[in-house]
Amino acid sequence: MNKVMSAEEVVAQIPSGATVAIGGSSLSRKPMALVRALARSDRRDLRLIVNVGGPEVDLLLGTGKVAEVIYAFVGFEVMGLAPHFRAARQAGAVAFQEWTEFTVMAGLDATIKRVPFLPTHAALGTDILRVNPAFRTFQDPFEGETLVAVPALRPDVALIHVNLADPQGNGVILGDGHMDALCAKAAQKTFLSAEQILLPERLQTYGRDVHIFRTVVTGVVEAPWGAHFTGCAPDYRADLLHVQEYLRAARDRSAWSEYLEQYVYVTDEEYLRRLGGEHTLGERLRV
Amino acid sequence: MPEYTIDELIIACMARELHGEVLVSSVTAFGALAAHLAKSTHAPDLAVLSTPESGMDAVPLPTLSLGQFLTENQRAIPLTMEDIFDAIFTDRFRIWINPAQIDQHGNVNISVIGPWERPKVALVGSRGIPEDTSHLSQGLYYLTTHSPRTVVAKVDFISGPGYTPDRRRWLGSHGAPTCLVTDLGVFGFDPRSGQMTPRSLHPGVGPGMVQERTGFPIEIPKDTPVTPPPTAEEIAIIHAADPLEVRKLELLSGAEAAEKFAAIYERERQTLHAAWPRRRH
Repeated sequence: MNKVMSAEEVVAQIPSGATVAIGGSSLSRKPMALVRALARSDRRDLRLIVNVGGPEVDLLLGTGKVAEVIYAFVGFEVMGLAPHFRAARQAGAVAFQEWTEFTVMAGLDATIKRVPFLPTHAALGTDILRVNPAFRTFQDPFEGETLVAVPALRPDVALIHVNLADPQGNGVILGDGHMDALCAKAAQKTFLSAEQILLPERLQTYGRDVHIFRTVVTGVVEAPWGAHFTGCAPDYRADLLHVQEYLRAARDRSAWSEYLEQYVYVTDEEYLRRLGGEHTLGERLRV
Repeated sequence: MPEYTIDELIIACMARELHGEVLVSSVTAFGALAAHLAKSTHAPDLAVLSTPESGMDAVPLPTLSLGQFLTENQRAIPLTMEDIFDAIFTDRFRIWINPAQIDQHGNVNISVIGPWERPKVALVGSRGIPEDTSHLSQGLYYLTTHSPRTVVAKVDFISGPGYTPDRRRWLGSHGAPTCLVTDLGVFGFDPRSGQMTPRSLHPGVGPGMVQERTGFPIEIPKDTPVTPPPTAEEIAIIHAADPLEVRKLELLSGAEAAEKFAAIYERERQTLHAAWPRRRH
């Protein structure tokens, strides 16, 4: 089946209130073209699931799309804190559930395995158990030990950016895999964006680098530079100069409106033009 | 005695804590350089990573944007997130964590300043610290600035438990804090009292300075040794491994940091290619 579609067609399948798991990690391989399309839409009250979140969470918070965030981390690493995340946390306007890196993966895995929860020692002794009512402790029925029950996380939709895909929805990831395969398998519907779409027989030559399988994929969008301004190894590194521009804008109300006009409320082609075009981006970001 | 800077001293102290055949995370420049220094000297079997989840047996090159490219260019061994957590749960993993706050019992916080529900400053979230602090036999922390704001009586939020009643009840020694290296000294944690105790003070640091910059009363015995400074060999290894001086970003702020950042980001691809030319398939 040919599943190639546009970013707008992906957004059309994400209703307001949907639970959306977003792949990538930190400043690596976030599906930013799909996230910008979501930010342009009139969707509201999304529930986001991220592991090591950053720009995707911050942009969707900064455009008022989010009712709740489930996260292990949201930030811009050495570049600084996430301005809209910080503002929303401090204002209490949006709901937040602090999870941890492994427990986000375990929650998705529980959904894949069709069990209500998975056990772990992680988070015992932390204040996460105090502030996150999703987690419960229970007694191991064999030895009586206290463990944390990590409830299943059930995303309606997963958004993932890959290096290469075929029209049927197989996806090749050439850099770190993060938790993307778990997102893809756990979600009701998974949408990929890809740097490039190849014919299936060419994609299959990537063998063990095919990490996302067409059997769980609903749609595929061709989006060159689709992870920008995060990186997409080995194709390009993160655009940290643009991260600085983003952070400056996100800390200031009027600069933020200008940023959105300049980079978000535009087509992907226009986005690339405003960044100086693909050639300039390549000079700065190809490694 | 060779000249050294505080980053080199801290990194040398961190390196001395690492041993055995375990994966070592290189999530910060200090952590990467400590792992590399240990591997180059007394701990040759360490398996150093180039990113939070990949590149086993990479030679670290601290950069801002090129971790995964280091894995690629060196043909380091790719791992998955599952591999990393399996290594954590089986205690075959070490990581130096740079917390926002650490307290007298070794509780650490990277989540929030003020109450979690209505933070004064929302930081980043506990990330993978709860996994580390419930499983690893070494709990390793460092701070580049020892101050009453970072070394506190009680953390605002427990991202990772130190010695607490909950730890005693649920975790025992799994994931307990074992070492804190700061710009003033090296500290340990007494498993019986659960208190932070000085192991050594850095050259030129006196008990008064430590007390002044610590947010709780800390006892510093008279016979507390002086930290051995880094050797010329250790300093040379650090310099060679971090030609861009990415480690200095952890010490700088404001305009100085911005200038250093711009220079590193501009030059780091060239440095990577000079050290590790990309190999084509």
